[in-house]
Amino acid sequence: MSRHLLHTLALAGFTAVAFTSDAFAHCFVGARFLPATLATDDPCVADEMSLPTVAWSKTADVPPASQLDLSFDFSKRITENFGVTISQGWTSLRQADGTLTQGFGNFETTFQYQILKDREHELAILSGLIVDWGHTGSTGSGFATDFSLVTPTLYFGKGFGDLPSSFGGFRAFAVTGQVGYQIPTSSFDFTQNAFIPQQLVYGASLQYSMPYLKSEIIDLGLPDFINHLIPIIEVSLTTPVSNNFGNPYTTTGTVNPGVIWVGSYFQVGLEAMVPINRQSGTGVGVIGQLHLYLDDMFPSTIGQPLFGGTSSTRKLTF
Amino acid sequence: MRIPTLVATALFTFIAISAANAHAFLDHAEPRVGSTTSTAPKEVVLFFSQNLEAAFSTVQVSDASGARVDQGKPKVSATTMRVGLKPLPPGTYRVRWQVLSTDTHTTEGNFTFQVGP
Repeated sequence: MSRHLLHTLALAGFTAVAFTSDAFAHCFVGARFLPATLATDDPCVADEMSLPTVAWSKTADVPPASQLDLSFDFSKRITENFGVTISQGWTSLRQADGTLTQGFGNFETTFQYQILKDREHELAILSGLIVDWGHTGSTGSGFATDFSLVTPTLYFGKGFGDLPSSFGGFRAFAVTGQVGYQIPTSSFDFTQNAFIPQQLVYGASLQYSMPYLKSEIIDLGLPDFINHLIPIIEVSLTTPVSNNFGNPYTTTGTVNPGVIWVGSYFQVGLEAMVPINRQSGTGVGVIGQLHLYLDDMFPSTIGQPLFGGTSSTRKLTF
Repeated sequence: MRIPTLVATALFTFIAISAANAHAFLDHAEPRVGSTTSTAPKEVVLFFSQNLEAAFSTVQVSDASGARVDQGKPKVSATTMRVGLKPLPPGTYRVRWQVLSTDTHTTEGNFTFQVGP
């Protein structure tokens, strides 16, 4: 993406912030809104799009290489509770000696089914199957593989708004998380001459919702910008669990403190990426994302499930 | 500014400011969310971020024992919903609302306020 375009997105973002009204959108469970998280996934099927997600970090190599990742994903509900996400990423890797390698990762699809939404307890559970399709990216550059990866995944989200009122502002906290088991379709990589491990891929977020604090607990009269913020800390980890002969079973990943600004039709997230150990990277990276709520932007067209649209009016429950 | 830059700026700005509707969220309320008032309010007024569908939007106010203290059907006008209250003695009151925005997204919430002695 050109510098001009990035500049433009930032400019458009600020312009939009200045003119939009005060609403929030998207993964709702009762009174709780769970934003789209950057390093993990939120626990709802939805019509949404992340365009773009930009990450910069330094690899664990010695000396470290500088890595820039650009990615996009588009999620579409097929039915009210079943959705599909397509994702594509592009990576640029600059070695310390100036050598530049660029290319696309494998094309990814995620199939998700909403198992539960408990409004009263602000609890959402989602099941998913992530498929990284082999040989659909730049295998020559090393950013894509010849084999596919299949990852059955369980996602959850829980808000603490159902705690007694005496918990006060603590009720604005929520947690989300996901656990997946990644299975490669090949057990040995002949180009790298190495076994391909099966891995546990997991992560979580702890978030504090200022919108929830204002509308459900106490309106402190804070500036409007603050009332749209969700401070968050995410953890994203990977641990080899089998078929990893000759290699250490080291967990790698990052801890990402940051903040998400939530608007009517989109959100903007920015997080630092702190490697949990030497094998996970060098120094602190950064990740940012512009995320669009398609169901709010286009409520009568692409914001609807393909079958059994959700726009029928809901019966009042009290 | 290059043409792709102009197009991208126009697209994102258009998306952000011209979309017709979204989920309706509580912007603020009278009495204020979580507040304590020295005099009993005569009504609860809720201000939302989007226009509401009157037929599918409602609010209830109850006391600490769960007994209704509102005067029934709320009045909805554009982004505002109000409901009258019976005379309130000192105590804690819970406001529960559920609204449908004009693009048919449903949202809900609840909060408390206190009437002091």
